[in-house]
Amino acid sequence: MYPDYMLDSMEAVTATRENRKTEAPERLSDEACRALLATYHPDYREAAFRNLRVGVNRGERTTHEIADLLEAFSDLDYSKIDLRPECETDVLVLGGGGAGVTAALFAERMGARVILATKLRLGNSNTIMALGGMQASVDEKDSPLRHFADTMVTGKFAGRRELVKVMVEDGPRIVKWLLDTGVDFDRDEAGNLTTRKAGGMSTPRIISIGDHTGLNIMKVLKDEVGKRDSIEVSEFTPAVELTTNEFGACNGAVLYDLGRKRHFVVRAKSVILATGGSGRLHMQGFPTSNNFGATGDALVLAYRAGARLEGMDSFQYHPTGVMFPEHMVGVLVTEAIRSLGGHLVNARGERFVNELETRDVCAAAIIRECESGNGVSTRFGKVGVWLDAPLLEEAQGKGFLRKRFPSLYRHFMRVRIDISKQPLLVFPTLHYQNGGILIDGNGETSVGNLFVAGEAAGGIHGRNRAMGNSLLDIFVFGRRAGMAAAKKICSEPGNATLNHVYRYYDRLKSLRISSVAKSPTLFPEFIVNKL
Amino acid sequence: MRNDKTTVIIELEGRKIRIPEGLTVIEALWDTGHDVKRGVGCLSGLCGACTVAFLEKDGKRVRFGLGCQKVVEDGLNVIMMPYFPSRVAHYLLETMERPLEHLREIYAELYTCNDCKACNICPEWINVAGVMKAAKEADYETVNEHIMDCIMCGLCASRCPKGIAPQHVALFIQRALAREREFPPNLQRRLEEMEASAYDARWRTVTALDSEELEAYCRQAEGP
Repeated sequence: MYPDYMLDSMEAVTATRENRKTEAPERLSDEACRALLATYHPDYREAAFRNLRVGVNRGERTTHEIADLLEAFSDLDYSKIDLRPECETDVLVLGGGGAGVTAALFAERMGARVILATKLRLGNSNTIMALGGMQASVDEKDSPLRHFADTMVTGKFAGRRELVKVMVEDGPRIVKWLLDTGVDFDRDEAGNLTTRKAGGMSTPRIISIGDHTGLNIMKVLKDEVGKRDSIEVSEFTPAVELTTNEFGACNGAVLYDLGRKRHFVVRAKSVILATGGSGRLHMQGFPTSNNFGATGDALVLAYRAGARLEGMDSFQYHPTGVMFPEHMVGVLVTEAIRSLGGHLVNARGERFVNELETRDVCAAAIIRECESGNGVSTRFGKVGVWLDAPLLEEAQGKGFLRKRFPSLYRHFMRVRIDISKQPLLVFPTLHYQNGGILIDGNGETSVGNLFVAGEAAGGIHGRNRAMGNSLLDIFVFGRRAGMAAAKKICSEPGNATLNHVYRYYDRLKSLRISSVAKSPTLFPEFIVNKL
Repeated sequence: MRNDKTTVIIELEGRKIRIPEGLTVIEALWDTGHDVKRGVGCLSGLCGACTVAFLEKDGKRVRFGLGCQKVVEDGLNVIMMPYFPSRVAHYLLETMERPLEHLREIYAELYTCNDCKACNICPEWINVAGVMKAAKEADYETVNEHIMDCIMCGLCASRCPKGIAPQHVALFIQRALAREREFPPNLQRRLEEMEASAYDARWRTVTALDSEELEAYCRQAEGP
C-alpha cells in the first residue's frame, strides 16, 4: 500500500493520463543524448572512478568499488591451504548460471569430464531474472547484419566487432539448440517464433517465453545438466582463487566449501569462469537488480592471474528499478512495460523522456528529474519517478497486466499495491556490467587455458547493452567456451600453484598499496538501513 | 533509537525476538545473526530458494511463501523450509521421438494423484492441483500455460501425500511439448539462408570497413 504522502503525486499521474496519451516527448538528437549522459549518467561521474595502479590494466579507469577489490589482498591464509588437488577433471566450470550451465553441457557433449562449482544453488543466477526476452534475428525482415548494426550502435561502437559478429551469427543456431533441448519459446498461429521490438532495435527481434524468459530457459538447462553423468555439480562451493602452473597457465581453482568451512583444490585441464557480474558491489551506492551472489569474483580471480579486462568503467543502470516498497528496492521492472507504451512520469505528472530511448538515456533522464526536485520521495530517503503501468491496462483492456506480467503483478499484490490501478515508483538500478574479462571468439582470455563466458566476459556490449543481448551472449559464448575448453582435454595441467597471486601481491606491496577490502567478496554484507 | 512504533515481535526459527518493522524474513534472519546463505538466491522472488512456512497472528493454519518477499508483521511465527527432496526422473529427451507418450513410465506416480489439492500452496499462485489434473488427463497445453511462472521451489512436492513432485512432472511436460512442436518456419528459413552463405558477401564488406565507415554503415542500417 502506498503511504498517504505519496497520494497527491499519484493523483497527478491519473489526472494527466488522458493528455499524455497524445503527446510523446521527441526522440533526442545524438548530441542531446551525449549531453544528457555526460551530465547525469553515473558512468560519467568522475569522482566515482579512479585509475588502477597495478596489473594488466594499470592506468585504466574503473569504479572505486572494483578498484578496491582488484587492489586488495585475499582473506585467505595461503600457507594453510593444501594445494594438492582433491579432485581432478577435464573442464572446471565456475558458476551455475546460464553461461556456466551451457558451457558445461557443451564441454560434456565434446567428451570432457566436467565439474561445475557454484557459490549458491545451481541455477541461482541473474539468468533466471532475465524477464523480457532474448535477441535473435529470426524475423523475415531481420538479418544477422541488422542485429550487428543495432548492437554496435547501442554499444556506442565500443564493442569489439569480431565478438559482436560471432554473437549475432550464432544467434539463430543457439535458438535451434534451445528448442531442441526443450525450451518452448512463444509462437504465433503459424508456428513462427514471435518477435517484439525494444529500445535501440530497428526491427522486432526479441523472442520470449511470457514474462519469464530466463527462468524458463534456466529450468530446462538445469534439468538437462542433471541428466548428464559426466557433469558433477558442486553447490555452495565458491571459487576463491585460480591456480596456475609453472608457465602461468590456469590449471584449476581453490574452492571454499561453505558447509565444511574448508578450502580444497580442483585441478583441471581448462577452467571456464562464468560467475556473472558485480551488481552486489552497489556501484556508487545504487540499488541493484542482481542476485545475491553477483559480487564480481571472476574479475578479481582472473585479474590476479594476469587476464586483461575491458570496459570496466561502464555499467548499465536499468531505468526502472523498484523504489517502493522498501523491501523490493532495486528489483527490476521489465523494459517491456515501456516497450508496450508505459509512460515515465515525474511528480507533477509530466513525461520527460521518450520511453523508447536506449536504457542509458532513460536512466540519465530519470536521474535528472530526481536531482532537479521533480521526483517523489519515500520515507526511507529514496527518490523516484512514476512508471505509469495503469495506462497499459486502460489501453489494452482490463486484466492485461495480470495476464501479461503475472509475477510483477503478484509481487506488488502481496504488499497490497494493484499495479493495474496504481503506478510504480522507479529509479535506475544497477543492472549489468558492460565490461569484463576480455575474451576472443572462443571465450579464451589472455591467460592460457582460462575461458570466460557470460556477464563476466567483456568486449561484446561496448558501453551499453541492448535488451535481450545478454541472454543471447551467455548461450553463444557459453557454448563456444565449453567446446574450446573441452579441446584441451589432452593437455598436461602441471602442478597447481598460487605463484601468480604471490607475484601480484609483491607488486601491491612494492607500490605500498594497502586496502581494507578483502577480495573476492563472495557474499555482500547485509546492512540494516531501516533502524 | 528503537521504540515500540518501529519494531515488531515475531517468533523466528522458534525464538521470540524483537526486530525492526518492514524487514523481509530473510532480512530478519540476517539481522538476528543467522548466517543464511543456502536459502538465498535472487532476492527478487524468482529463484525459489527461500521458501518459508509461517503462522500469522491469529492465523488458523500454516501458510507458505518466499522469505525474500514476505514482510514480517507483529506476531508472525516463521521458519525457513529446507529444500525438500523430490524425485527427478532420469530421461534423455533426444532419444525420444514422442516424449509425451513416455510420461506414464517416467512419472508413473502422477497417475496416483487423487486430486486432494494439498499441493495448492504455491507462492506463485499456480493452481498446482489443477495442473496435475490436466497432466493426468493429457491436456498438456493447459499444463504448459499454467506452469510458466513455476520457480521450482518444491513447496508443492513437500505437501503431496502420494510423493508426486509436480514441479518436475510439469517441467518434463514443458520440455516434451517444446520438442514435439513443429520447427518454427521463420527460424528454419533463417538457418537455411545462413547455411547457403547468403550473408557472407555482405559480412566481407562490413568486416573490411574502417571504424568511420562502420559507424556510418551501422547508423544507416539502423533506420527503418
